[in-house]
Parts: sequence; C-alpha cells; structure tokens
Amino acid sequence: MIAVEQLTKIYGRRTALDAVSFEVPRGEIFGFVGPNGAGKTTTLRILAALMEPTTGRAFVDGADVTMQPDRVHERLGYMPDFFGVYDQLTSAEYLDFYAACYRQPKARRKKITDDLLELVGLSDRRDQAVDTLSRGLKQRLCLARALVHDPAVLLLDEPASGLDPRARVEMREILKELQKMGKTIVISSHILPELTELCTMIGIIDQGRMRATGLVQDVIRQLTSGRRLRISVLGQREEAVAVLKPLPMIHALSAQNGAIEAEYEGDDATAAAILQTLTAAGIKVSGFSQLEGGLEDAFMRATEDAP
Amino acid sequence: MNPIAVALWNPIVAKEYRSRMRTWRSPVAMTVYILLLGGLGWAIFSSMTFTARNSFNAGQGANYGQGLFLYLILFQMVLLAFITPALTAGAISSERERQTIDLLFVTKLPSFSILWGKLLASMSFVLLLLLLSVPIFSLVFLFGGIELDQLAAAFLVTAVSALTLGIIGIACSTAFRRTLPATVSAYGAAFILLAGSLLFGLLFPTDIDPKATAAPAPPAVTYLSPILPLITIGTNGPVNNYGVRNGNNNIYPTGGGGMACSTTPAGVQSCYPIGPNGAFSKGIVARPMQASGTTIPSGLFTGWQYWQATVTMQLVLSLIALIVGAILLSPIRHLPWRMRAAAPVTT
Repeated sequence: MIAVEQLTKIYGRRTALDAVSFEVPRGEIFGFVGPNGAGKTTTLRILAALMEPTTGRAFVDGADVTMQPDRVHERLGYMPDFFGVYDQLTSAEYLDFYAACYRQPKARRKKITDDLLELVGLSDRRDQAVDTLSRGLKQRLCLARALVHDPAVLLLDEPASGLDPRARVEMREILKELQKMGKTIVISSHILPELTELCTMIGIIDQGRMRATGLVQDVIRQLTSGRRLRISVLGQREEAVAVLKPLPMIHALSAQNGAIEAEYEGDDATAAAILQTLTAAGIKVSGFSQLEGGLEDAFMRATEDAP
Repeated sequence: MNPIAVALWNPIVAKEYRSRMRTWRSPVAMTVYILLLGGLGWAIFSSMTFTARNSFNAGQGANYGQGLFLYLILFQMVLLAFITPALTAGAISSERERQTIDLLFVTKLPSFSILWGKLLASMSFVLLLLLLSVPIFSLVFLFGGIELDQLAAAFLVTAVSALTLGIIGIACSTAFRRTLPATVSAYGAAFILLAGSLLFGLLFPTDIDPKATAAPAPPAVTYLSPILPLITIGTNGPVNNYGVRNGNNNIYPTGGGGMACSTTPAGVQSCYPIGPNGAFSKGIVARPMQASGTTIPSGLFTGWQYWQATVTMQLVLSLIALIVGAILLSPIRHLPWRMRAAAPVTT
C-alpha cells in the first residue's frame, strides 16, 4: 500500500533523510518511531505529496507522490502534528468545509459530518466553535477531518503528542476502530509503549536513517542481541552464578533486585536446559521467567550507536 | 465537471464569507469607510453651498458636480488602496502561520483554486464597499456635470485597480511566508502602482517630436495608475501639464522650446511647435495637433480612452501576478523541464 524507496531529502547542507526505504502492506498499522528531528515528519510530508524528495521515490497505493499528487491525495488522509483549525467555525462547519474541499456532494456532506463526529465522539459538540475545543477534542476533530473522503491510507503525525493519558487512550481506541475498518495507518510517535500495543509493524528512524523496519516482534528480536531470563534462587546466588557462567549459551549475567538476569542465545528449549542445569546442580530455583524485550529497549539499542 | 467549473468551484469562498462576517471587524470597516467617504462628500458639499451662497452663478452647478465627483472618486481610490492590500496580503501567509495551508494542499482543491477562492472572497468585500458608496456618489447628480457612463467608467477603473491591488497582495502573500513582509510589500506595490507610475511621468516625460503630427501624450507606464484616467473621466478633458517635456506645462514657461498646447472648452487640444522663448519657431511649419477629449493622442495606446488603457494594463499585470502566485503556491511544481516518467508500483 505504501512503498518508500531510497528516499533522500537534503536541506542546504543538512541531510534530513538518507536513503530511507520501507513498505507497509494493506491493512497494517505502521509505527514510525524516532527521536525529535529524526526525519519522521519529513517522510510523512513527502508521502502526503507536500514536499519533493531530493532523490528517491514514494508510492501510495501505486501513485507516485511526486508525479501524481492528486491521486495520492484521493487515497490519503493526512493529520499533521499541529491542529490547523479555523476560528469562527463550528465543528460541523469545519468538517463540512473539508468535505467540500474533497468534492463530496452537498447531499452527502451532512451524513459524512454526522458519522465522523460520532466516530470521534464529538456529536454533542457539533455546534461548538472549533477554537474553543480542548486540545484532545481538537485532535479528535482533526482526525475526523482526515477521514472526510474515506481514504484507504491514514498518515498521522504525532497524534498523541500533548494529550493527557485519558485522551491518549481514547485516541488509541479510535485508531483500533479504524484498523478494523481496513485502513492502512502510518503513525509517527516518540511515545513508544503506545505503539507496541497498537502497531503491527514498526520502523525505527534516527538522524535520517532507517535503523530497523518490519513486524514489531521481528524488529525487537533483530535489535535485542539475545533473550533474557530472570532467575530467583533461595540464598544460593553465588553458587547459581558459578553454575551459569561457564554455560556457552549465556552471554551476560547481572544482579537485578536480588534476582539474576541472564542474557542468552537460543530458544525456549535452551531456557529449559538452563533451568535443568541449575536444578541438577542442587540450586533451589524459586522463580524463572523470560523477559520480553520491549519496543523502548529496541529503540534505545537502535539509536544508541548512531554516529 | 468541466475544467472551468473546477477552477471556479470553491468552498473557500463560502468559508471565508462565514469567517469574515462573524467578526466585528467587517461591520466596523464598512462603517468607517462610509463615514470617511460620506464625511468628505458632506464637507465638499458644504463648502460648495457656502461658495454658491456668496457668489451665485447659474451654470456653476455642473462644475460643482464635477469637482465633487473628482474628489470623491480619487478619495475612494486612495481608501481602497489602503484597504485591499490589508484584505489580501495575509490571505495565504496567515494560512501558513496558522498551519492550515497543508490541510488545503492535501485536499482535491488545486492550488489555483485556493488562490482564486481567497481572491474572490476578499474582492467581494471590496465590491460590497463599492456598492455601499453608490448612494454617496448619487449626490453628484444633484449638481449634474457627470453622466452615468462617466460614473460607470470611473467605478470600473476603481474596481479593476482594486482587483489588481488584490491580486498583487495575494501574490505577495504567496511569495512571503510571513504576513508582515507580505503586507509591507503589498503596500509598496500599491504605492508604486498609484503614485510611482505617476512619478515616472514627472521624471521621464515624453520628449516632443516637432515633426510629429499628433499631440504628445504621457509615457505609457503612467497609464498603470488609476489616478490619470479618473482625472480624465472626472474632468471630461485631456491630461494637461503632465508627462510631456516642456509642453504647455508651466514649469519652464520660457525655456527649452518644444510644443505649446492649448485646450478649448470642448476638450479639443491643439499643439504648436515653439522656440526656446515660447515664441513660434521660425522655419518650422506650425501644424495644429489635436487631441480630442479623453483619448490618448499618441503613443502605444493612440486613440484609446485613458481608462481603457489603464484597465487593459492592469488586467495584464493582474494576470501575470496571478500566474506567479499560482506557481509559487504549489508545494510540488510540475514545470515541464522537471517532468519525468511515473512508473506505478503495486504494493
């Protein structure tokens, strides 16, 4: 649905994007993660045909963003990282205006407006002036605006930034709803835990370069050097460490809150073998669990060795 | 939808009307405009009544009518020169500052429609102001001296000048990212159009060719200013004492030589070659050259009315500014030399 090929953008002497490539298949939610200034907004603006890349190409549903911006705009809903609201208009008028800009027939516009206000939970605010809405409500209205022409692809630039936790949860619920409707969503954020739960794919970008991209679990696996175990023992920590250290699959050992954390290479069978070795050596194991490598962890690893 | 309908079709106009008319600024602007124009009309009217009381002369009414009309129409032009750039110079730059321009770019509205919609919304407010001034101008008909066609021509010149200023304002708004420099440049352009072009006529007047068979006319650049045609319409006579080197202007009454021109009350201008001391030159056959009424006697627009030349030049200028504005506005410019083949990719 979205294909980005060797996208490079150079501003003067600064390279904002350096040969960025990724693909997002239909129906996926792609989390675009990176610190501020990494190139997320630049990539999304190029995808929205609002900016020309210096080199490289990008396609939205087969349409070249540079050569066929009109076709791209038909298929795409874009929500920038700012509200972009007009004074003196009510929520319903605001949506009606954009629906008209997308050439929706007048007869259909009222239904579109009503449906979208309901989707984002603003039906009771339809006659409230847009500039008097709270930040969270404005953000929801902007999401509704991006949907007025029922696009197949949604580009959401930092949709959760500046929102309180409740508003974030509400935004996440709306996005899940949109996923169920079959939309392909690209969502940029630096708030990582949200993306782990919401996204099916992620791309990690830093200093204009793509550090990793793919399915969430694949990226985490790709970026974490091994799997980790948390082992609790009954008063025999020294002995346990002595048993574990010589094992070839163990990379590193550390003490965390009274337990031992062991980084190892292998699968579940390897973990079972480690447990067996410990118990065979007479160590009383009271706790044995695998630690999930989080997106945050993957992200930190991906960006820490940046030049 | 056909291409013309697509270009003209515009939800921006409706939105702009809605936003504009919901603020207190619009009624205040209209009130101030009418008060200023009406105030000037009333002041001139009072002064004329006073003069007429002291020295009544039947037949002076027409002169009073012309005088009142001339003052009003020139003042209206100056007022609009202040108002129009203010309406349009922020049209695009304020969208940029408010960060709403990207949201318009990603819709199906072509860049030209965005520009056109903004222009239409601003110019219809100017048109409203012009309509509001009609009752004030009807005062002129109490005195006579001005025909309806003169009024129509003067309003056309004023409207086209306001349109030109509006389009230049929009182009400035597109070229500059911030409203302040856009506004400053739009006012600069308005000054150049109204006063700068007239100044050009003073600094670089037309040199008289003694062998010419037609009366001299100011340089064509000066027709850009609406002031010149408004004066010719208001006075219903040719432009004298301006834009021609040592003609019948009285700056160098005894020097230079050249042409001497005189105008009959019927508006017929006759010019004769004169010597350095203002006497008829010996050896040069004096050929009377006539410039009748308000037509341009020579140059690029020979035989045109001044207002026709002004309207034509301003419309050309407007078209250029509109095209420049549309090219500058597009986020991705498809210039012919930058085209390359698009190869769709299936994902």
